Amino acid sequence: MHHKSKGKAARAATRNPAEEDPEFQIAPMIDILLVLLVFFMSISSTEVLQSNHTIALAVAKEAKQPKKNPGQIIVNVSWVAINNMGSIDVDDQKYAVASDLIPKLQDELLKNPMTRVLVRVDRAARWSFEREVLKAVGDAGITNVTFSVVDKAVPGQ
Amino acid sequence: MASVGSEDGDIGFQIAPMVDVVFVLMLFFMASAGSQVAERELNINLPGSKTPSGAQTAVPPTPIMVDISADGQVSMNGKTYGSPSDKEIASLREFFTTAIVSGNSDPEKQDPVIIHPDPDAHHERIMDVLNAAGASGVKNLTFN
Repeated sequence: MHHKSKGKAARAATRNPAEEDPEFQIAPMIDILLVLLVFFMSISSTEVLQSNHTIALAVAKEAKQPKKNPGQIIVNVSWVAINNMGSIDVDDQKYAVASDLIPKLQDELLKNPMTRVLVRVDRAARWSFEREVLKAVGDAGITNVTFSVVDKAVPGQ
Repeated sequence: MASVGSEDGDIGFQIAPMVDVVFVLMLFFMASAGSQVAERELNINLPGSKTPSGAQTAVPPTPIMVDISADGQVSMNGKTYGSPSDKEIASLREFFTTAIVSGNSDPEKQDPVIIHPDPDAHHERIMDVLNAAGASGVKNLTFN
């Protein structure tokens, strides 16, 4: 028993030499930092939509997650509060009157009968203007309409 | 200072500034990830769209008209729901759940909800009503 305990003590001394703190290892720290950096870069979305980023969307917390839809047309409806006028923007092309959208929407519907319209309307827009856009979409033969909203208020808007 | 390079005056690779830069970048992306706003969707069917199966129902549905005034007041049959600044409109949600959705999860059996906003009503208020309807389970929703 005595020689066994002596051996044990010797092994313990080599494993844990007295008064020696673990050193700071910078290489693993940099590895972890880079992994964290890549993680946060990836979840910061950099997706660019056919969307107008000047539109302040309405807030709707219980709205659904967006679905991927191959036949989707995004209609951006901006609103200028100063003169209470709206403007329509589809694929970077501006339309003064909603009825001018009808030929384009009909072409898209011919290419893909499952086409849906995603309407991104500024939260201050008036129903009278928005109604004209929805009427044009209906007149083009598209009844599947989705409003784009955000899940929380954007700071500063 | 950790450095890699020759001894003839070249600057060499400085690891401490690199760690500083990586920390700053990480802090930036942590902050921007937290303030990200995700876009969501609220779906409706425009008037004139067909019912899913086109089948005739024995009892015709009674449409429920929800009015939205220019100042944002939501009302139905003369009764007001919430205040113009109330985004959640809990009383409206309760009405939708009890009167329309309870026992009628099938959209064909639900009474249709027709939203009738004032021409000067704001889009945001219309979305509040759509959000309340969607959260309550109303599937048969359209505009007047």
